[in-house]
Amino acid sequence: MIEFKDFVFYALSFVLVASGLSVITSRNPVTAALSLVLAFFNAAGIWLLLQAEFLAIVLVLVYVGAVMVLFLFVVMMLDINLDKLREGFWDYLPMAGFIGLLMMVEMVLVFKTKEFNLSPVDDSLKSISNTEVIGNTLYSTYVLPFELASVVLLIAIVSAIALTLRDRKDSKKINSSDQINIKRQDRVRLVAMKSEEKYVKSKTKDRK
Amino acid sequence: MNELIQFDLSLIMPEIFVLSMAMVVLMTDLFIKPSSRWIIYSLSQLTLLGSTYLTGKDFAEETQFAFSNMFVRDGLADFLKMISYLGISLTFLYSRSYMKDRGLYRGEYFALVLFALLGMMIMISSHNMLLVYMGLELLSLCLYSITALDRDNQKATESAIKYFVLGALASGLLLYGMSMIYGATSSLDIGIISTTLFNHPTDHSILVLGLVFVLAGLAFKLGAVPFQMWVPDVYEGAPSSIAMLISSVPKLAAFAITIRLLADGLQSMIIDWKEMLLIMAVLSISIGNITAIAQKNIKRMYAYSTISHIGFILFGVMSGSLNGYASSLFYVASYMLMTLVSFAILMIMSNKNFECELIEDFKGLNKRSPWYAFLMLIVMLSMAGIPPTIGFYAKFMVLQAALEAGFVGFVIYAVMMVLVGMFYYLRIVKLMYFDEPKVKGKIEASLDVQWVLSLNALSLLIIGLVPYTFMEATTQAISLSLN
Amino acid sequence: MNSIYSYLAIPLLPLIASFCVGILGKKLSEFFASSFTILSVFGAFILSCFTLNQTLDGLVVNQAVYQWLATGRYQFEVGFLIDNLTAMMMVVVTFISLMVHIYTMGYMKGDPGYRRFFSYISLFTFSMLMLVMSNNFMQLFFGWEAVGLVSYLLIGFWYQKSTAIYANLKAFLVNRVGDFGFILGIAMILYWTGSLDYATVFKNVGIITAHTMQLFGQPVEVITVICVLLFIGAMGKSAQVPLHVWLPDSMEGPTPISALIHAATMVTAGIFMVSRMSPLFELSDTALSFVMIIGAITALFMGLLGIIQNDIKRVIAYSTLSQLGYMTVALGASAYSVAMFHLMTHAFFKALLFLGAGSVIIGMHHDQDIRNMGNLRKYMPVTWITFLIGSLALIGTPLFSGFYSKDSLIEVVKLSHITGSNFAYFSVLVGVFVTAFYSFRLYFLVFHGKEKWRLQTVAHNDDYHHGLNPKDNPHESALSITLPLTLLAIPSVVIGYISIEPILFGSFFAKSIFLNVEAHPAMEHLSHHFHQIYHGPFGMAVHSILSIPFFFATSGVALAYYCYQVNINLPKQIIKNTQTIYSILENKYGFDSFNEKFFAHGSRFLGERFWRLGDEKIIDGWFVNGTARFVGKCSEKIRIIQSGYIYHYAFAMVIGVFLFLTFFIKI
Repeated sequence: MIEFKDFVFYALSFVLVASGLSVITSRNPVTAALSLVLAFFNAAGIWLLLQAEFLAIVLVLVYVGAVMVLFLFVVMMLDINLDKLREGFWDYLPMAGFIGLLMMVEMVLVFKTKEFNLSPVDDSLKSISNTEVIGNTLYSTYVLPFELASVVLLIAIVSAIALTLRDRKDSKKINSSDQINIKRQDRVRLVAMKSEEKYVKSKTKDRK
Repeated sequence: MNELIQFDLSLIMPEIFVLSMAMVVLMTDLFIKPSSRWIIYSLSQLTLLGSTYLTGKDFAEETQFAFSNMFVRDGLADFLKMISYLGISLTFLYSRSYMKDRGLYRGEYFALVLFALLGMMIMISSHNMLLVYMGLELLSLCLYSITALDRDNQKATESAIKYFVLGALASGLLLYGMSMIYGATSSLDIGIISTTLFNHPTDHSILVLGLVFVLAGLAFKLGAVPFQMWVPDVYEGAPSSIAMLISSVPKLAAFAITIRLLADGLQSMIIDWKEMLLIMAVLSISIGNITAIAQKNIKRMYAYSTISHIGFILFGVMSGSLNGYASSLFYVASYMLMTLVSFAILMIMSNKNFECELIEDFKGLNKRSPWYAFLMLIVMLSMAGIPPTIGFYAKFMVLQAALEAGFVGFVIYAVMMVLVGMFYYLRIVKLMYFDEPKVKGKIEASLDVQWVLSLNALSLLIIGLVPYTFMEATTQAISLSLN
Repeated sequence: MNSIYSYLAIPLLPLIASFCVGILGKKLSEFFASSFTILSVFGAFILSCFTLNQTLDGLVVNQAVYQWLATGRYQFEVGFLIDNLTAMMMVVVTFISLMVHIYTMGYMKGDPGYRRFFSYISLFTFSMLMLVMSNNFMQLFFGWEAVGLVSYLLIGFWYQKSTAIYANLKAFLVNRVGDFGFILGIAMILYWTGSLDYATVFKNVGIITAHTMQLFGQPVEVITVICVLLFIGAMGKSAQVPLHVWLPDSMEGPTPISALIHAATMVTAGIFMVSRMSPLFELSDTALSFVMIIGAITALFMGLLGIIQNDIKRVIAYSTLSQLGYMTVALGASAYSVAMFHLMTHAFFKALLFLGAGSVIIGMHHDQDIRNMGNLRKYMPVTWITFLIGSLALIGTPLFSGFYSKDSLIEVVKLSHITGSNFAYFSVLVGVFVTAFYSFRLYFLVFHGKEKWRLQTVAHNDDYHHGLNPKDNPHESALSITLPLTLLAIPSVVIGYISIEPILFGSFFAKSIFLNVEAHPAMEHLSHHFHQIYHGPFGMAVHSILSIPFFFATSGVALAYYCYQVNINLPKQIIKNTQTIYSILENKYGFDSFNEKFFAHGSRFLGERFWRLGDEKIIDGWFVNGTARFVGKCSEKIRIIQSGYIYHYAFAMVIGVFLFLTFFIKI
C-alpha cells in the first residue's frame, strides 16, 4: 500500500525526470528553459517532502525567480539556433543511450544492495528551524568553504568581464592628452607634386 | 573560541595573503596606465615572495588542523606550496615578454593566476572532500578563463570551451563519486573516512562505485588515460604561456589531492585503486609515448609527453608505500621544473610575428643560439630519463618503488616505453644540432629571463648530480604527513 | 683540513681546471690554459702532501661526502677513505701529474690541441684521484671507467693519425673485457654482502667465505670467484697477459701521457685495487696463485719482447709491462706492501724514463727509432744523466730506489710457499737479467756509440716522423722539459732508501692492508731478514752485492755493453742463427695476430651474420619498421578518437568510467 507521501514523491520525481528530458530534447530554446523551471519546481517539492523548507524556498527564489528569468531574457534576445547545436544528436543517441542504460543498470544493481551508511538526522534538530541550523553550520563548521564559494563567484565575475568587456570600435571617446600632444606634422603633410601635363594641355586646348 | 579562530587564521595566513594580494592586483590594475603594468608584475612577484615567507616562517614540522579539521597544514602541504610558489613565479617571469607581444599582459591575467594559486593551495591543504572540491573549482574556473583570455584567437577560445565543458563533466563525476563515498561513510572528512573504513572493513560496492567516479575526476585533472583527451587540444590551442601554466603547477595540486584522497582517505581500499591506477598508468605511458612520436606540433608533443609522465607518477602512487608516494612527489616536482623550461624555450623562440609551435622550428637551434640549444638538450635528456639528469632519478625511483610493490612485468614494460619515448625527445636534439636552421636570426631574451632560465635548466643537471637532498626532502614531506 | 669537504678540494681542483680549459678552449691564451691547470694540480699536490702528513700521524678518514642515491635496500654514496695507502697514491699521482703538466708545456708547444691536452690530463688527474680516494666500489668503478675514458681520448689525441685511432680503439675494447669481469665482481660483492661500501664489505666478508657456488658444474668458493673476477678487471687496466696487448700500442699517444697514464698511474690502478682488496684476496689461496702466475708470465715474457724493439717508447712500454708483472707477482705472494712500494718507486723512475725518451724524441725531431740515434750524451747532457739514473734504478742497482723495491720483491717471492711461487721466483730472477739487458741496450744505442742519424740517406716523408737531418745536431730540450726530469731523478734515487723501512717493515700500511700472517708468512720472514741480517737499508745494499739478482743485473749490463758497444755485429748474427725464436718474439708470441684472427675476424663474421639476420630481418624488419608501422597505425586510431569534438571526448570519458565500473564492481 502506497502511502500518500510516497505517491507525492513518485509524482514529483516523474515530472522532474520528464521535464529534464524535455530540456535536452525540445527544439525551442524557450520551451527548454521553461522545462528547466518546471524541473526546479519539482526538485523544490521533493526537498519540501524531506522537510528542507529553506532549501526548497531558496531554490525557487534564486533559480526560478532570478537565474532562469535572466536566462530566458538572454535566450529570447539572442537568436540561438538549437537545431544546429544539436546536430548529430539522433545519430549518437543509440550508442550513447545504450552505454547510459548499461551504466544505469550497473548503478541500480549497486544501490540495491543498500549499503548506504547514513546516520539519521538528529531528532533534536527537528524542533529548530532549519534556516537557523543551516545558518549556524554555514558560519561555523563550513565557514571556510563558504568563504571560498564567494571567491569562486568573484572569479566568475572577473573572468566574465575579462572575457567579454572590450572597447567599442566605433567609440567616440576622446583622448585629451593625445589631442594636446599632437603636432603639426602629424596632421598636415606637404606633398611636392608635378603638375599633370595632360590636364594642363587639355585646359589650354579648351581655352583655344 | 577567539583563540581558536586566531589559531585557525594563523595556519591559513599564506592563503589569506594570496587572496588579498590578488584583489589588490585586481584593483591596482584599474588605476594604472597600460604602460606601467610592470607594477602589477612586481606586485604579483612580491605576493609570491611574501607567501613564501609566510609559509616558510613556520614550516610545518607536524600536522596541524584548522577550521573543524577541513584545512590541514603538514609537511607535504608546505613542501608542495613552496614549489608551487616557485613554479608560478617562474611562469610569470618566462611568459612576460610573450604575453606583452600578444596583448595579454593584463591585470586580469595576474589576478586570475593568483586566484588559481589560491585554489591550488586550498587543494593541497584540504582535508575534507568539500574543500577538495572548492579548491578544484577555484583552480579550474581560473584556468578556463585564462585559456580564453586571448579571446580573438579562435583556437584559444575553442580549446577553452573544450576544457570548460569537459572539466565540468569531470567535476560532476568527482562530485558524484564523493557523494557516494559520503553515502557509505556518512562523512566528508578525510580523516574520519579513513578511520571508518579502517574500523569497519566492508567490501562496499558503493564505495567502489564512488572510488571509480572520484578517480575519473582526479585522472581528468592529472591528464591520465582515458581522461586525457583535453590535454593535447588545450595545449595546442592555448597560448604557450598558458599551456605552460596548465601543464606545470596544477599537477602538483592534483597530485596532492590524489594522495590525500587515495593514500589517506581511502587507504583501506588500496587493493581496488591500485589496480585502477595500474591500468591508467600503463595506458598513459603507452598512449603518451606512442602518440607523441606522430606529432608535428611541439605543444601537442609536450602534451603527450605530459601524459606519459603522469603515467609514471601514477606508477609511484600505485605502489602504495611511503617510498612510492615520496618518489611520485619527487617525480611531480622535477616534472614541473622540466616542463617550465621546455615551454620557456618555446616562448623565447617566439616573437611578435612568429609563433614557435612546430617541431621543425627547432631546426638548427644550435647554430642560432648554442646556449639555448644546450638548455633544451638538458631538458630533453631529462624528460627522456637519461642520467645524470633529474629525470633519470625520478623515473628510477618511481620504477624502483613499483618494483618493490611487485609490479615486475609492468616495470619492464614501462622501461621499454621509455625507450620508445626517447625517440621523440632525441629527435628534437637531432633537429637542433644536426639540421640547418630554417629561420635565421639570434634569439633574444631579457637578462633576468636568461639567467633564471639557465639556472632552472642547470638545476635539472645539478639536482641530478646531487639528488639526495631533494629526495630526502620529499621523503620527509611524505612521511611527516602520512603515517 | 679536518672536514671531509676539505679533502673534496683535492680532486675538484683539477676537475674545475679541466672544465674551464675544456669549455672555454680557444678563448683562453695558451699560457693561461697551461698555468691554470698547473696551478690547480700543484694545489692538489700540496693538499695531498698535507694529507699524507696527517695520515702519517695515524689519521684514518672514512666518510661519505654525500649520499648520491638511496634505493630501498642499497645506498650509493660518494665518499673518501683516506689512510696511508690512499695518501701515498695521492701524492704519487699528483706529483707525477704535476711533473707531466710542466713537461707538457714544452713538449706540446705549438700543437693545435694544446689546451685540449691540458684539459684532458687535468681530467685524468681528477679521475685517478677519485679512484684512489674512493671508499666504495661504485666510486671506484666510476674512477676506473673515467681513467679508461681519458686514456682512450689521449691515446687517440692525434685523431688524424690512423694508427692512433686503431690503438685507442684497441685499448678501449681490451679494457672492456677487463671491466666486464670487474663489474661482475662488484655485482657479486653487492649480491653477497649487500653493500658496496669497503668497510661494510670487509666486515661482512665472513658471510662469503662459508659459501660455494656452482660454476660449470663444479663447486667453487664464492670468494675465489669474486677475487678472480676483480683481478680480471685489474688485468685489463694493469695490462697483464693476455689482456696486455693494448699497452704497447698506446704509445701512439703523446709521450707525456705515456709517462703519466701508461707508466706511472693508471696502469697501476689494478695493483692498487688488489692491495685495497687485500681482506678479500687474503681469503683465497687459489685466487692468489692465479694472480701470481699471471704476474710471473707477464714479468718474464713481456720483458723478453723489450729486447727486440727498436722504437724507444716501445722498449720502455714493454719494460712497464714487465714491471707491472713484478708487482702482480708480489700481490700473489701476499706482499701487498711490497707491490705498493714497487709501484711507487716504479712510478718515479718509469715516468722519468718516459719523459727522458720524450726529450730524446724532441731532440731527434720526432724520430723514435733507436737505430738512428747514438752518442746523444754529447748533445743532451741533462737528458743523458737523468735517463741513466732512471735505467740504473730500473735494473735495481744497489742504493737506487728500484733496487729496494725489486730486491725485496724477489726475496719475498722466494720466501712464499703458495702454488706457483717457484715458477714466479724463476721468472722474476731471469727477468732481472732481461731488464738489465734491454735497458742498457737502449741506453747504449741512444747515448753512446756512433751518431747514426748522420749515416742516413733516405729522408723520412712521414708527417709525424720528421727525423733529424744528417747535418744537424740534436740539442738539449727547454727548461720546462729538463726541470721535471731533474725533479723526478731525485726520488728515483733516494725514495727507496728513505722509505723502505716504514713502508715494508713498519706500520705504514698496517691500517690499510690486511695480512693473514699465519697463512702467508713470507712478509714476516722478509721483515726478519731485514732487521736481523741486514740491519737496515744500507746493509741490504751491501749484502746484495753477493746475491743472485745483482749478478744477473750486472751480467745483463755487461752483455748489453758487449753486444752494442764492443761487438756491434753480434746481435745481427744471433738473430740470423735464431730465426725461429726471433720471429716468435717479433710477432709478440702471436697474441696480436690471434686476437686479430680469432676475435676481430670472428666477431666481424658473427657481426655480419647477426646484422643480416638479427638487424635487417628481426630488428629492422620487425622492431624498427614494425614499430614504426605499429606506431603509425596506433596514431591513426588515436587520431580518429582525438577528433577535436567535445562530445567524442566526453563520450570517451564516460566509456572510461563505464569500463572501470564494469571491471571493478563486484556485486
